[in-house]
Amino acid sequence: MRHSRTLAGAVYAAPVALFVLVFFVAPLLLVGRMSASDWPLLAGDLGVNFPANYASIGDNPLFWPAVGFTLKYTGIVVVILVGLSLGLALLVSGTRKGTGLLRTAYFLPTTLGLASASLLFFGFYSPAIGPLDPILQGLGITDEPISWLGTPNMALLSTVVLIVWKFAGFFMIILLVGLQSIPPDVYEAARLDGANRLQAFAHITLPLLRPALGLVLILSVTGSLLAFDQFFILTKGGPDNSTVTVVQLIYREAFQRFDLGAAAAVSVLVLAALLVVNIAQFRALRRDR
Amino acid sequence: MRFDKRPSPSRRAAAAVAAGTAAVLLAAACGDGRGGGGGDQEVVLEGVDDGAVLTMWTRAATEAQSQALVDAYNATHENQVELSVIPTDDYQTRVGTAAGNQELPDLFAIDVVFAPRFTSAGAYLDLTDRIDALDHADALAPSHIAVGTVDDRKYLVPHTLDLSVLFYNKDLYAQAGLDPEQPPTTLAEFADHARAVGELGDDVHGTFFGGNCGGCFLFTWWPSIWAEGAEVMNEDGTESLLDSPEAREVYAIWRGLVEDGAVAPGHAEEPGATWTGLFPEGNIGVMPMPSTMLGLMPEDLDMGVAPIPGPTGGQSTFVGGDSIGISANSEHPNQAWDFLRWTLEADTQIDLLAANGDVMARTDLADNEHYADNPNAVVMNDLVAIGRTPYSLHFGQTFNDPQGPWLPLVREAVYGDADADLSTLNDAITASLSG
Amino acid sequence: MTRRGIWGTTSYYVLGGGLAALFLFPLIWTGYASVAPHGSTNQQDGFGLGNYATLLEYDSGLLRYLWNSAYVSVLTVAFTLLLSCLGGYAFARFKFPGRDTLFLLTIAILMVPYSTLLIPLYTQLGDIGLRNSLFGLALVLTLYQLPFAVFMMRISFEAVPKEIEESAMVDGCGSLRVLTRIMLFAVWPGLITVGLFSFLAAWNDFIAPLILVSDADKAVLPVAIANLRQQSMGAVDFGATQAGVVVMALPCLVLFALLQRHYVRGFMSGAVKG
Repeated sequence: MRHSRTLAGAVYAAPVALFVLVFFVAPLLLVGRMSASDWPLLAGDLGVNFPANYASIGDNPLFWPAVGFTLKYTGIVVVILVGLSLGLALLVSGTRKGTGLLRTAYFLPTTLGLASASLLFFGFYSPAIGPLDPILQGLGITDEPISWLGTPNMALLSTVVLIVWKFAGFFMIILLVGLQSIPPDVYEAARLDGANRLQAFAHITLPLLRPALGLVLILSVTGSLLAFDQFFILTKGGPDNSTVTVVQLIYREAFQRFDLGAAAAVSVLVLAALLVVNIAQFRALRRDR
Repeated sequence: MRFDKRPSPSRRAAAAVAAGTAAVLLAAACGDGRGGGGGDQEVVLEGVDDGAVLTMWTRAATEAQSQALVDAYNATHENQVELSVIPTDDYQTRVGTAAGNQELPDLFAIDVVFAPRFTSAGAYLDLTDRIDALDHADALAPSHIAVGTVDDRKYLVPHTLDLSVLFYNKDLYAQAGLDPEQPPTTLAEFADHARAVGELGDDVHGTFFGGNCGGCFLFTWWPSIWAEGAEVMNEDGTESLLDSPEAREVYAIWRGLVEDGAVAPGHAEEPGATWTGLFPEGNIGVMPMPSTMLGLMPEDLDMGVAPIPGPTGGQSTFVGGDSIGISANSEHPNQAWDFLRWTLEADTQIDLLAANGDVMARTDLADNEHYADNPNAVVMNDLVAIGRTPYSLHFGQTFNDPQGPWLPLVREAVYGDADADLSTLNDAITASLSG
Repeated sequence: MTRRGIWGTTSYYVLGGGLAALFLFPLIWTGYASVAPHGSTNQQDGFGLGNYATLLEYDSGLLRYLWNSAYVSVLTVAFTLLLSCLGGYAFARFKFPGRDTLFLLTIAILMVPYSTLLIPLYTQLGDIGLRNSLFGLALVLTLYQLPFAVFMMRISFEAVPKEIEESAMVDGCGSLRVLTRIMLFAVWPGLITVGLFSFLAAWNDFIAPLILVSDADKAVLPVAIANLRQQSMGAVDFGATQAGVVVMALPCLVLFALLQRHYVRGFMSGAVKG
């Protein structure tokens, strides 16, 4: 009986295993191989070339600025996103009338894809049809049109707004689920012990939210480190290469400079970095369980 | 989602895996895997018109001319060409990934500056015999043939010619006290004219340019460098000369216009999508633009064209546009050639291109009825002989790519510090060109 | 958990409502902009559907792109549901060698940049004859759905009380019948969640089709709409772009509205517990 259960389990898992092997493991191994080869997109594999692709990464004048920008962007987005989604979750976790509507309103942007949302904001921020300048000028707040995407700081800020708008609702739902899995009796007990709301929040809610917060943190950090679509559509890396992310570098090497070997080398580095970051995050979350 | 009853888990699993594999193989078999291409077909020098359906790609920037040619061909032939217009910025990527996939369309146009990259990578079919069989082969625009020639084999013919010329608004010139029949003959004079028009009022501006668009800069400013007798690169396109004294002089003149407020707002962010949209609205005094814009000018706009001068005189132009060829994996090379051959015939060139005020792909047809009424078109057409098409294998990723090293150099010269050191930025360009 | 009393009722509604307005504003604006008159669009005077007309005529036509997107999305949903159902069941209820490794490997897909995998997949799809095909694209999109889908289905299956299964097995059902007769019904909120999210992801995906599909008439909606921006010389057709956004967003919003109840339950059923 035990034996056939093991077999049954293996059989059920087989399709996933096969799929992951063919479409994930094999390509990853190929990336490794490409990173050590001279592999132009137009010509194919031209032979081993180690470690030229890796050595030339440092020579790429866009590389270090891209790393710096990606880290800066991640820091800003994660802080704002986690904070806002926590606030929203707290706001709608009650049973007041209308929380369902509010929840829907906050979650709606998530249903748009990232590309759609980027295209939406491409028009939203444009001087041609964007509503922000007419509104701001109509209210008398500003006299001249603001260039939402024209300076490095504005471009970064505008993109952060787009991402926060799109993802806050999704993370709110995750945190909401976490909030609602905390049994009310815990709060009862705390109140009986004389704790006020702030203390209850700090010592009960936050710790019990750890898994949900952890998930939100991991998803938002990984997602931000891998940011690409929004910059590709909104700013194309501009102005003056100030919004080039690491993944955009990979895309550029592969599909504009047609050098798959160099793109693969940067990819391997990014993978290694992500592995380190995620392991660190997992460890930090698992501590003192 | 209900699974049907099956004998036992392991038998079922085996069946599932087999079914899955079969599905993948079936899809593969039924997929449009293209075969080795029609390169083995017998070459018919005049082309074949037998009702084949041909796929064709062109850039958005030259859509108007391509579409006109395709529509006229489809109306008069059995072969039918399906044209797809690809965004200009993504064109190289699309062609590259399709080439890597061996999924290129039968015909695809290519910006002349990108041509060397793709011809030398074997994306195009060898057309030498077919081209040489044309009786007007010597009259085909030389620069467009040259960029498509590798080791004395020809792969491309001219498709659209797009030259950079000065467009100026005669009404605004008159209002500013300038002679509407005397366009500028030096770049310094151009700057004076722009300032004069710029003083006319709030809604009117002297000039404009795409300040965040590498391709726009080189198209409109390099002729001024050439007109002074200087070069922008060495002969095989592996070294940059873009910090030469002549180049700096050109940058300085434009910088002066920016500082004096003679340039319409929005130039610093303009990535190239809308820079040609301002002049037709009638608020710009004088600015260099593509010659293909002539046919798109509103009827009631009183304007003229002039060659682009250098700081102290001379004339030149950037002979751009697209060449076109047949992809190496095409299965209908003879039919595709029928289309190309037809586009180069005298009647086609005169009735479709000259009639619209466009520059033609042949140098032997300048004496036609349409040009007789269109002095602007004559000015542009005559420039083909003295214009230049620069050559480099790594042109696109150096000069057109917004992340390439050209844009930082020219933006530093125009928007950065007054005595910025351009030599380091220039070295970055050389590095990109050579490797 | 209630938070009654931490906000006054008015300030709660003002804050909540204000935020809701901010969130909804861009969505409402895009609908407005898609029908409002503007200079360089197809909709010159007054309100109307001129921008949508542009979409219908652009290149291969809106209907073609809708079909391509729908085909790819439905395929992706089918593959994802199939794989995550079987896999989630296996992870939740069975022990077999390599179980944890496989699960971690599946989750690890999330950590790999999109472009990184696309590069070798681009080469390998060609080798198995799936280059430039929507079917191949669906397979790749399924891959990116697996981490979330398998995770969701695993915790959904784990949340089903073992007694249900055990009593069924005592009655003589094999594991397959347990799965199909009982478990699937028990986890259907999870299935709906996975189906919805994989549809949304596949429908909205941009980079994979950009690289993997070369033919202009096999393009999917996001790629087509992004290309649309450079259609005319000298001007960006913003009206048509916003019309495109509306067309892309509508099915998502509709699906979301229809399935709201279910997928929230889906999240709850596998609630992230301590």
